[in-house]
Amino acid sequence: MEPLLIKRIVFDFFDGKATAIQRKYLEEWLTDEANHEAYYQYLDEWESQRPQFSVDAEKALTAYQRVLEDDQPTVTPSKVLPVSRSGLFQKWLPWGIAASITLLGLLGAYVFRTQILYETHRTAFGQTSEYKLADGTKVTLNANSSLRVPRFGFGNKTREVYLEGEGEFKVTHTANNQRFIVRTADRFQVEVLGTEFVVYARAKGKRVFLSKGKVKLDLPQGQQLYMRPGNVVTVANSGRYRLTQTKTARPYVAWKDHWFYFDNTSLTEVADQIQEQFGIKVVVPEPKLAQRRIAGNFRAEQADDLFQILAELLTINVVKKRHYIELTTPKHP
Amino acid sequence: MQQVPLDDTENSGDSLPRFLGSHQPLQPGKVTDDELIFRQLFAQDPKRGCELLFRRYYTNLVNHAVRFVYSKEVAEDLVAEVYTAFWQDRVFERITTSYRAYLYQTVRHRSYNYLRWELHPSDSLDTLHTQGISPALQPDEVLHYSELHQKIEDAIQSLTPQCKRAFLLSRIEGKKYLEIAQEMQISNSAVEKLMIRALNQLRQELKGEWFISLLLGLVTYAF
Repeated sequence: MEPLLIKRIVFDFFDGKATAIQRKYLEEWLTDEANHEAYYQYLDEWESQRPQFSVDAEKALTAYQRVLEDDQPTVTPSKVLPVSRSGLFQKWLPWGIAASITLLGLLGAYVFRTQILYETHRTAFGQTSEYKLADGTKVTLNANSSLRVPRFGFGNKTREVYLEGEGEFKVTHTANNQRFIVRTADRFQVEVLGTEFVVYARAKGKRVFLSKGKVKLDLPQGQQLYMRPGNVVTVANSGRYRLTQTKTARPYVAWKDHWFYFDNTSLTEVADQIQEQFGIKVVVPEPKLAQRRIAGNFRAEQADDLFQILAELLTINVVKKRHYIELTTPKHP
Repeated sequence: MQQVPLDDTENSGDSLPRFLGSHQPLQPGKVTDDELIFRQLFAQDPKRGCELLFRRYYTNLVNHAVRFVYSKEVAEDLVAEVYTAFWQDRVFERITTSYRAYLYQTVRHRSYNYLRWELHPSDSLDTLHTQGISPALQPDEVLHYSELHQKIEDAIQSLTPQCKRAFLLSRIEGKKYLEIAQEMQISNSAVEKLMIRALNQLRQELKGEWFISLLLGLVTYAF
């Protein structure tokens, strides 16, 4: 059939106007793998003709460029302070220099404001650490996590810390009933008086498990939620949340002793956990294998311990590649 | 069946700067239009390749994702994540399809997972952020995606005007419940109820739409 005609049918189909005959035809057309490329080309064309709202692509691009450039953007003083070529140039030059030094100082303070204002505790991949804060609160940080504590004023008026990653908090109740607040990215925060709980805040979403006492959650959309002991609240990146009740605390605190707790956990999710915990990328190219589920508790201080367990448990091969580790089923002769 | 030649009049790489000298017409039957240029560019400078790939497809991909997830914020995040993984995991070294086909497939796949997660609260987070190189989809699955977003659109259109307005204000314009309440002159809890009703109706309309068994097989690479 004529390419133009196919294109028209595909467009009609995207618009929801295709007949059953046309659909059947497209199905046949797509059995030829080579036509998939044309299909996505048409899809792209179709989308570009049907914008739904204005997308701020420039802003998103700037963010993406930051991802592409690993290093911090450098500050060039010449851009901050344009030097004029007028007759006053000579007279004002010293002031200009002084001003640029001050500006640079301010910029430096601005760039490093986090380091100046906060003390940051950070754990490496595969490492957990315990900290005691000035008010007596005990924090255990899981691997690949960081906790920022204000250097000034912590415990004076408020007790606020910032968490990225996962941590268990055992908060001391103060005599004046001072609130303790754990903030995470995306305006999500946990507020308590004195209690024990575990906060998980990574790229995948957020989760809070409460073992004792009572906590208040502030969700990004302005909603508030009170939790009881045994409650688990999971918050997706969209802000949608779910509250469940758990009988055992084990899955949420097992990491403290380097235990991995798998309960009908897919290999996909196991791979995710290895990446979070040890910073090692794991790839499971076979869909069937990726779906296999594992149950049990395993202690692993290093990723290799866990790979050994997985290899024995599932009788699979662990192959080290340049940028990642691949799990495959061995081929039988 | 013969391959589809490029009709250069409508679909040239005009949004692409001509960084590789003159824009030569490609012979029909080859991997089409911009793709060849992208391929050459990636061989020389992957970083620049990623950036231009972003410029070229980001807006259209967000536009596509939003048909499934019906939330501007989620759609933008989702597409940005696909691009981030594309660079950080060096996906571009391993894909066998065109960049365009890969991006669209992955965005569809992730949108679908997100939607399923949002409407099926029993699923855990683990299918939410999987990313990978999907093997070629079966023809029926390829078509099913389009039918799914049409169904979603129908479901949204069939909401009561009030319900639809609250839903769109929240999900597309990104307004907070409090702002919506003020704008619609109803209480905060009424907004919440409208949102719950919208999602419930979506859930009802999409019952039986889940081609989970087909798609689970596509969760191939886990990062």
